[in-house]
Amino acid sequence: MTHRWVALPLCVFLILVSACSDKSNIEPDADEPAYFKIDPNTAGMIAGNVIFKGKRPAPKIVDMDQDPQCAELHQQSVYDDPVSVGSEGSLANAFVWIKQGLDDKKFEPPTDPMVIDQKGCWFGPRVLGLQVGQTFKVLNSDPVTHNIHPLAEINREWNQSQSPGAEPLIRKFSRPEVMIRVKCNIHNWMHAWIGVVDHPYFAVTGPDGAFQLNNVPPGKYTIEVWHEVLGRKEEQITLVRAGRSETIIEFKGE
Amino acid sequence: MSKRVFIVLMAALLGVSCTGADDAYPIGDPVVIETPLGLPEVPVPKDSPLTADLIALGRRLFNEVRLSSDNTVSCASCHNPALHFADGLAVAKGIGGQLGTRNTPTVLNAAYSVAQFWDGRAATLERQAGIPITAANEMNQSHEACVTKLSADEEYKAAFEKAFGPGPITMSRIEKALAAFERTLLSGNSAFDLYKYAGNKNALSEAAIRGLQVFTDRNKGNCATCHVIGETYALFTDGKFHNLGVGMNSSGELTDMGRFNHSGVKSDRGTFRTPSLRNVAKTAPYMHDGSLKTLPEVIAFYMGGGNSNPQLDVEIRPLMLSAQDRNDLLAFLDALTGDIPSGEELHGRKR
Repeated sequence: MTHRWVALPLCVFLILVSACSDKSNIEPDADEPAYFKIDPNTAGMIAGNVIFKGKRPAPKIVDMDQDPQCAELHQQSVYDDPVSVGSEGSLANAFVWIKQGLDDKKFEPPTDPMVIDQKGCWFGPRVLGLQVGQTFKVLNSDPVTHNIHPLAEINREWNQSQSPGAEPLIRKFSRPEVMIRVKCNIHNWMHAWIGVVDHPYFAVTGPDGAFQLNNVPPGKYTIEVWHEVLGRKEEQITLVRAGRSETIIEFKGE
Repeated sequence: MSKRVFIVLMAALLGVSCTGADDAYPIGDPVVIETPLGLPEVPVPKDSPLTADLIALGRRLFNEVRLSSDNTVSCASCHNPALHFADGLAVAKGIGGQLGTRNTPTVLNAAYSVAQFWDGRAATLERQAGIPITAANEMNQSHEACVTKLSADEEYKAAFEKAFGPGPITMSRIEKALAAFERTLLSGNSAFDLYKYAGNKNALSEAAIRGLQVFTDRNKGNCATCHVIGETYALFTDGKFHNLGVGMNSSGELTDMGRFNHSGVKSDRGTFRTPSLRNVAKTAPYMHDGSLKTLPEVIAFYMGGGNSNPQLDVEIRPLMLSAQDRNDLLAFLDALTGDIPSGEELHGRKR
């Protein structure tokens, strides 16, 4: 007899609880993925320099005669200098990123867009990195039409025309891909490279060849350095708690 | 029911349908529209032969602002004879300055189109004529209101009876008159036509002749694949619908599905009718949304291979054109400007 009176409220209670717990299980996952929280007390830095030794290929004059409006944008000859080497062999435009070691950690994409500009019938920057889901913004600052074409293989390949004065293009890449070659379908001398990574640990070397990956959780990592002409190199790094790793990565010419 | 009753009934039915057709059947002697050099004979529907009175009525209606709800917009407002029967705007402007979503196509040579509108949703000029009248952002007036307004005008009543015989003004009569007038708006006899169809080898400049090569060469401009040049005439269109990726927003999505909106066929997504290129140098801006301001921009758009999307036409791919190729192509397109009927004089002569 008493069992019956207990059973009914118990059922109701159980249904309510299960409904509630279902909800609490689903909602946070759907709304905000479990992004990895970097602990500033234990995170460290992977820094380094990319250098080049040997005979570098000579910069080549870019022939813009196919579009005189492009040529007119330049007072002097434009040089294409893919292996840009500074003092003491510092190598610019190398893309450095953590290739392995972050396991399944998920990182929130930054809200700032990465911008590429088509200016002087040239892409700037030549090499850029962005995170999966981060906004990729394409400007046309030129008085001519461009047609940007990222030749993605893992992500979706696309191309889109931009007339002079057209508003910026806003795109995203949904999967990691290092690297995506970018060309302009109209001006065959224009090229750029995009590295898409699913975490924030990537950098492009400037003229000093230096790079810094900040706020890296301690761990064992494989970092990769990519260069459009010189290829790829890997390096194993162990980062201790709140540590700093310094490395020199060297490419050799012929 | 006897046989006799059946026959009477059939006769009555036939009578009704015949009266319906006769109601908008033009009277008077048909006229022949002179075909300009480079164009075929203009097609005329069997149920609406061209007569001088019909064309004159159509011309008047074409300029009639009372076809719009606030008496401010006529067909000629957007299809302006002074602007090659277009409006020079990116998209059409209707009553109260309301903007449409598509570029006004010229009426010149529309008589040859396999279907009207950018998306081909009207099969004939007659069917087309009534549609902008009721469109809210164009003339915004019901067909009934058009008929009522015109019927209150004795001059119109007389003009309609002169063209069609006794009977009330009907929408069918209005549409047939407008279409008849539009069939006289033919433009040919361009420098290209003189060169190609009259054997005048001096009609085109050296640059334009080279441009014609770029235009037809499948490995260069590949333009003539869709903008067709025939052996005896050139309409500069294949009468088909193609997707170039025009009208893509900054996120890479098509903003106007074109023919798909009416056909519902997936492969029609983002496809629009190939426009003729006659008088193209005079009818900027370009494309269905007027998004390209100049012909050099149009050429650059094609050089880039359009905008990628799942239904992009197979013929759209990046083109390798030198600076000279582009200039030559422009010279050729310039040579497609033909003689323009003013829309004032009566075209055609008695048969």
